[in-house]
Amino acid sequence: MKCEICHKNDATTAYTHIVDDTKKTLLLCASCVPQNEEKKKAVPRPKEDESTQSVPELIKKVKVEFNTAGPSESTENTVCQGCSMTYKQFKKVGRLGCHQCYTSFAPQLERLLKRIHGAEAHCGKDLVEVGTVPSPQKALEQLRSELKDAVDREEFERAAQIRDQIRGIEVDAEGRSLR
Amino acid sequence: MNISELTANHAQWLNGAEDRHGIVVSCRARLARNLSALPFAPKATVEDQEQVIEQVLTAAQRGHLMNSASFFRMDALRENERRLLVERHLVSPALAESKGQRGLLFSRDESLSIMINEEDHLRLQAILPGLQAENAWAAVNALDDELGASVAYAHSDKWGFLTACPTNVGTGLRLSILIHLPALVLTEDMERVTRGLTEMAFTVRGFYGEGTHPVGNLFQVSNQSTLGVEEDRIVEKLTAITQQIIACEKDAQDALLKEARAQVEDKVWRAYGLLSHARVLSSQEFMNLLSAVRLGYSLDLLKQLDSAFMNRLMIVTQPSHLQMENGGEIAAEERDIYRAERVRSHFATLASEESGQS
Ligand SMILES: [Zn+2]
Ligand SMILES: [Zn+2]
Repeated sequence: MKCEICHKNDATTAYTHIVDDTKKTLLLCASCVPQNEEKKKAVPRPKEDESTQSVPELIKKVKVEFNTAGPSESTENTVCQGCSMTYKQFKKVGRLGCHQCYTSFAPQLERLLKRIHGAEAHCGKDLVEVGTVPSPQKALEQLRSELKDAVDREEFERAAQIRDQIRGIEVDAEGRSLR
Repeated sequence: MNISELTANHAQWLNGAEDRHGIVVSCRARLARNLSALPFAPKATVEDQEQVIEQVLTAAQRGHLMNSASFFRMDALRENERRLLVERHLVSPALAESKGQRGLLFSRDESLSIMINEEDHLRLQAILPGLQAENAWAAVNALDDELGASVAYAHSDKWGFLTACPTNVGTGLRLSILIHLPALVLTEDMERVTRGLTEMAFTVRGFYGEGTHPVGNLFQVSNQSTLGVEEDRIVEKLTAITQQIIACEKDAQDALLKEARAQVEDKVWRAYGLLSHARVLSSQEFMNLLSAVRLGYSLDLLKQLDSAFMNRLMIVTQPSHLQMENGGEIAAEERDIYRAERVRSHFATLASEESGQS
C-alpha cells in the first residue's frame, strides 16, 4: 500500500484527523505525516539526528481538530479565571493553562473531548486522597521484581539496597498494624 | 549518578525477557499528571517550574519506590547528554529540547522514571522488556499512588486526571509496545495491520515515537484514547492485540521461510557477515541489518545471539552514545566508522564463543 499523499513511499502510519465532525483516516508514509496540512514537497528522509525532533506533529493534529470546532465570538473570548487564558489562545497553542481551564471552557471542551476520545466521562483509576498512606503491597511487588532483576544481573550491592528498602516497608507496615 | 555511570549499565528493558520469539522488544506505560496548585506548562513561570520540581522530589523522597532514584536537571546537561537520555528512552525529545526548568528522576535499572515539566508537570513512566503490559501498568500505578498521596493532582470528577493537552485527559495513560515486524513489512501486510489497529483505536508509530520514521522494521503500537476506557481494559486490549500481531508476524515469517528458505537464510547470514566485518555503518544501514539478524533469531536460524545482545547493541550505537564513548563530538562520517568498530567488536565476542563451543 502506497502513501495516500505522495503515492510513492510505503504507507506506515495511519493519520487520523477530524474534518467537519467526521473522523478521517489517511495512510501515509513517514515523510508525509507532519506536513499533511501544508502539503509540502516530498521531504527527503531526515538524517539520523533529526529523528529526535518530533514535537510539532501532535500540535498540528490537534489544531485540525480545534479549527473545525465551529467558533462563535462569545466562546472564543471566554477567559479562564485561573490563568487568564482565553479559549482563542487555547485553540492556538493546543494546550490548556491550568486545571481551572477545564471548568472555564467546559461547554467547548465537552464537545472537543467527545470528538477526540469518543467518550464523555472518565472511568478508571480514582484520585488517591492526599495524606493517605498507600498500601505497601504495590510498592513491595515492584521492589521485589527489581530485586530479582538485580540478583539476576549479579548486582549485589544494588540488591542489598533494595532488600533494605523492602525491609523498611515491611517494618513500617507492621508498626501501623500494631497501632 | 552522572551520565558516564549511566552508560556503564544496560537498562533493564533491553534484557530480552518475554520477547516472544524475538518479536517484542519492550513495553511502556506512561501516565500524565499535573499538580492542581500550579499553572500548567503554557502558563508556568520559572518559579512555578521550580515549585513543581521541588514538590515532586519531596514526594519521591517520602515514597518507597523512588527514594533512591537519581535526578538530572536538564539545563545542567550538555545537548549531547540530553540526547543520550532520549536514546535510552528515559526522556522525550520534547523534554530534551524545550526551555525552562525541567528534570528527570529515574530508578537505577531505568525501569521507573519521572519526567518533570514536560508538556505536563509529571510524566511517570515504567518500561519493561518484552510483552509485559500488565506489569508495566502495575509499576507505574504503584508510583502514581505514592506521589498522589503526597501532592494534589489536577483532577475532575467528570474527566478524571486533567492534562495540558485534551488528548491525554482521563486516565492519562499511554501504553505502548515496541515490536519488530520484518515479515509483515516484507509481505506488504503492514498496511492492513495498521488499518486494523487504527479501527481499534490504536496508533502505529516509528521507533522513537511521535512523528518518527519506522527504522529497522520496529514499530510502536499505543492506545489512542485516554478518556472513557479503564486502565485494565487498555492493558487487556493492547496485550490481546499484540498477541494477534505476533501471530500474524510469525505466520508471515514461517511462510517466507517455507517459500524461499535459501533467500531468507542468505539475507540473514549476509547481514550477519556485514555486521561482523563492515568498516563503515550508517545508522540506517545498521538498523536494517540488525533487523535481518533479528529475523534470523526469530526463525531460529541464528542461535549464537539473543534479544538482549541485539537490543543493547541498538542503543549503544546511537549517535550520542557513540559520542559519549568517544569522549566528545564526532562528525557523522567518523561516527559511521566508529559505529562499525563498535558493532564489529560485539560480534567478535559471539564468534569466539561459537568457536569455543565447537
Ligand atoms: Zn508519502
Ligand atoms: Zn486556566
